[in-house]
Amino acid sequence: MATEPKLSHTAAMILQTIHGGQVYGFSVMEATGLPSGTVYPAMRRLERDGLIVSKWEQQSIADAEQRPLRKYYKLTRGGVATLQAMHERYPLLKKMIADPEVKNA
Amino acid sequence: MNLRLLLRSLPSCLFILRSAAWLAPGQARADWLAEWQGELWHVWHACDSKSRDRFRGSPEITDFCLGAFRDAFWLGWNNPHSTPRRIFRSGSASRCSVTLALWTGISLLACLSLPGVRRAIRPSTYRDADGLVMISSGGYSGAQSPSIGFQDYQSWKTSTRHLFTDLAFYQPIRRRVHVTRHRGAELSIGRASDNIFKLLHLEVPRIAPDRSNGDYAAKLFLSERAWRESFGGDPQLIGSVTEVAGLRVLIAGVVSQDSWPLPGQLDAWLIEDERRLSLLPLKSKGFVLAHLQASESRQRADEWRYLSVPREDGTSDHFDCISLAQRERLPFSILLFTLIVALIALPATTALPLGEYPRHSGRLPWPVRMRRWVFFWSKFALVVPLVCFTSLDAAYGSHPLNSTTAQYIQLAVSFFGFLFAFRWILQDQRKRCPVCLRVLSHPVRVGLASRNFLAWNGTELICAGGHGLLHIPELPTSWFGTQRWQYLDPSWGSLFNDAYMPSAGVV
Repeated sequence: MATEPKLSHTAAMILQTIHGGQVYGFSVMEATGLPSGTVYPAMRRLERDGLIVSKWEQQSIADAEQRPLRKYYKLTRGGVATLQAMHERYPLLKKMIADPEVKNA
Repeated sequence: MNLRLLLRSLPSCLFILRSAAWLAPGQARADWLAEWQGELWHVWHACDSKSRDRFRGSPEITDFCLGAFRDAFWLGWNNPHSTPRRIFRSGSASRCSVTLALWTGISLLACLSLPGVRRAIRPSTYRDADGLVMISSGGYSGAQSPSIGFQDYQSWKTSTRHLFTDLAFYQPIRRRVHVTRHRGAELSIGRASDNIFKLLHLEVPRIAPDRSNGDYAAKLFLSERAWRESFGGDPQLIGSVTEVAGLRVLIAGVVSQDSWPLPGQLDAWLIEDERRLSLLPLKSKGFVLAHLQASESRQRADEWRYLSVPREDGTSDHFDCISLAQRERLPFSILLFTLIVALIALPATTALPLGEYPRHSGRLPWPVRMRRWVFFWSKFALVVPLVCFTSLDAAYGSHPLNSTTAQYIQLAVSFFGFLFAFRWILQDQRKRCPVCLRVLSHPVRVGLASRNFLAWNGTELICAGGHGLLHIPELPTSWFGTQRWQYLDPSWGSLFNDAYMPSAGVV
């Protein structure tokens, strides 16, 4: 029987934010209102646990927008499953940080 | 430029990020720094933008950058190859050494911060301590309270000239000292002969200007603590005249409390000339200090213990002469004594052999073999000062240097401290892997106690690094008297993902 990963509310919030789509560290901070000292270590922990993956964007995109490269984070399959389990544990999570579908609607 | 603005500038923010990067593991540092610098660019632009309220002020940028330290620390700490993680690995030799060093450091700091302990460990305060003796009628313990009659002191001044160059007397009394009508304090005063400071070579740093026109009978020197605590450190007090024990006395100066390690917790010294002092009752008791003749060698001052004074009726009184140098060395003598006694008593508490290690260990590189012994002796090197400092803290932290209670406390703490520390060192060494020095784990009971004489019966422990097994017999027998170490073949290595030192078979 697979054990349900236990995430703190903060980690669940970050997971929910990343579920929103192409996000980088600063956008997570903006969406959650959490300080950098909380957001980045939490994302490292989620990445270590295989719930999210990170990827540098292409240089050409950054050059075109005249800004530094961004490191984007997205959920893995395990991350999606964990997030669904977290929705049961933290029912208000969806309301606090809206899903992309909700946002689009 | 304002320091606050300087801290919020872009170069400062970049400097903070580069500083934090040193906490991140080396292989991930460049990637980590690139991400944070990229993020900083976004934060910086968000602050410039009027539409985003949250990041408008510059302090947020500094807060953002300071968060990098937490992130870098997390990465560094969670890196399995990071040095701090290896040092503080559970059961590792480095963790044990660092913990011992830390405790030793704490006990040393306590020694240096407690005034009583500082006084006990500092070098001699007397310029000629070997020549100074305290005369007591009841041995060392009798020297803690006044034991010499004033009459004896007076007679010795003339009868012992062949032995002593000078004799001084002091008698602790408790009197109230009034400096004004409404201001005064009850002090413990040492009523002393006028040569006492000279005999002890004590410096009296503050000599008051004489504002009394010589209208006083004696001089009073206050201890620095009494001057500050009872009289608020009033400088006008020095040089004024007051009345103590029916005498008009000049408050002549302030003496550092540290410079008086003799018995009697004195707040002040009432210095009287011989004529005034001779008015003391002949049977009143006090302390007598003496300075040995130059002909008495320094070594003899340590050995020479008795003073025999003939009486008129043909008998003689015996007194002990306790060298002040010996008194000052007493804390160190106690430590040396307890160290030796603990070493003698050690075999009664635990077995001394560290176990049997096969010759196979010869295939290990010599630095690995040496590491075991370096670790073993380093534990001794750390434990001995730890016990010394702790016993001094316990004994002299709350008791005066010359207190018998303090000496008993030091004796007990240092003896049991040394004994149990040495016992722990041996036991700890026995349960460590001789290769990686980690504490062995996973104990397994093997055999049956009922078959002790037919088959092997005991406990087996294994090294988490896969270096070997330790067999500990339940009952020592003629064919299995002590614990035995068995090196594991390198082929076992695949089972252990924790190995970080070469096994004996690899080399």
